Amino acid sequence: MCEMYVIETQGLTKYYGKDRGIVDLDLEIESGEIFGFIGPNGAGKSTTIRTLLGLIFPTSGSGSIFGMDIVKETKEIKKRIGYMPSEVNYYEKMDGQELLRYSANFYGKDCESRIKELADIFALDLHRKIIDLSRGNRKKISILQCLIHQPRLLILDEPTTGLDPLMQAKFFDILREENDNDTTIFFSSHTLSEVQKMCRRVSIIKEGRIIAVEDIETLRKKQLRKVQVEFAHPVKSDEIECVGIIVPRADKNNLHFMFSGTMDDLLNNLAGKDVKDLIIEEPSLEEIFMHYYSDEKEQNKEP
Amino acid sequence: MMINTNLYFNELKRYRNFFLAWSISISILIVMELAFYHIFMNEDLAKMMATFFENPFMKNMMTVFGTNLDVLTNALGYYATRSAIYIMLLGTFFSIMLAGRILAREEHEKTAEFLLAKPVTRLEIVWSKLAAFFTYLFLLSVMILVSGSIGLEIFKGESEYRLGAFVIHSFYFFLLMLTFGAMGLFLSLLIKRGRPITSVSIGLIFGGYLIDLLSKATRPASKFGYISPFKFMDSGVLRPDYSLEWWRVLYFLGISIVLIALTFIVYRKKDILV
Repeated sequence: MCEMYVIETQGLTKYYGKDRGIVDLDLEIESGEIFGFIGPNGAGKSTTIRTLLGLIFPTSGSGSIFGMDIVKETKEIKKRIGYMPSEVNYYEKMDGQELLRYSANFYGKDCESRIKELADIFALDLHRKIIDLSRGNRKKISILQCLIHQPRLLILDEPTTGLDPLMQAKFFDILREENDNDTTIFFSSHTLSEVQKMCRRVSIIKEGRIIAVEDIETLRKKQLRKVQVEFAHPVKSDEIECVGIIVPRADKNNLHFMFSGTMDDLLNNLAGKDVKDLIIEEPSLEEIFMHYYSDEKEQNKEP
Repeated sequence: MMINTNLYFNELKRYRNFFLAWSISISILIVMELAFYHIFMNEDLAKMMATFFENPFMKNMMTVFGTNLDVLTNALGYYATRSAIYIMLLGTFFSIMLAGRILAREEHEKTAEFLLAKPVTRLEIVWSKLAAFFTYLFLLSVMILVSGSIGLEIFKGESEYRLGAFVIHSFYFFLLMLTFGAMGLFLSLLIKRGRPITSVSIGLIFGGYLIDLLSKATRPASKFGYISPFKFMDSGVLRPDYSLEWWRVLYFLGISIVLIALTFIVYRKKDILV
């Protein structure tokens, strides 16, 4: 097979001394896709990204970006990528304009018009010193910094933290635009809903290992909901019977459970049962992992 | 091309105020010290010092500081033995602090995550930052030369000296600062997450200086003196045969080159944790 992946790793492993960073990571990210990379904090997302960027060196295994080795050809690789770190730390005495020019000069490109265009979109004042900027505004500088030199690959590490919903929407619009122009996007996050909005495929990382690579469609079908039903009377955990209820737990009048079935089924089952209140929410990733991926893995082991 | 000009000029700009503050202070101090020499000679303080030197204890003590009455009453001798004490301490501190921060600060302030994501190799990063350090070290040495020669010309009074001896002394001083800079650069790499090496720097400089003093004061300690770079500084500017000695130059350059080479080797493969 001669298909070239934009990012490809084979058995990529990183230990910090004895501490686990990532173990045996195999990634294959195709050109032009928006690839989600999700996992709880401490799962190894940033370690993966920093290894890809050459900030840290793999203990074993290998990786390539645009077919170039992440250890040996890191300079050539970086000409083609834009990176947005999860925490923004810049030279505090510079103002936005200075930082962006400094950044652009590394690529030997004139990015002035793009800087201006993006600053307008995000309503960003480029003449204030970084040290005086709020977290959200620093994040906007970071967005500009990773986009202005028109990279072929964007590596985004939890890009939306600290951005208000309006800015998030604008940011996602720009990402889609970039993607339409054939820019590949590697999108790391711990929020499933955000990844679902953007990506076609996601990879799920837990405790340093990739435990699943899924199409978003499949994930959506497996979509878990966290449900709390309040009845008019005390209940037992088997109060309702419906396909898709996982680990029900009764607490006085309340019934808590995870639900992976169809909503219609659930509502039909609840009808006429003296329901006083019903709360349906998206579970946190931790909960999904606990109730779904860890269970599935266990089940899969059995023939 | 191993130097990234964008990075180099940014580093120059970043440390411009630090450099200006230190270099101007040091230059002013040099001129002030020489002005003080002038007062010292004119106010008959020198004669009072003569009585001071009659006391054998005091005489010995001053020998530790590498001086005696003949040296003290000469403008260049006065500069090289008396003023040079703090000027040398200040200069080496400037050098060790600048070199100790220039690379490690990116890690400490977490800007390494920005810099290392740019198309620039690790070697280019070290070269460019070293170039900025060398530029400022060179400029500081020029300022020391200029302020020293001006101060000497204005305040020399009747003393005679060779300007060449002053140039050689300043060159040794440059090499001493370079050596401490190389130490700072290398040590900053070994400290976790690039924390500032201020306390280590002060320890190294004062430690080195005290070892040098002790080695001059007592015979048994004289051999230990050679672990201190200060020992290799030659302040005997009034000796007729005072000249540039190659073994001293080789010592300073050797240590600097080895430490800088080690810096390249370590930084090339270092995990940058931010």
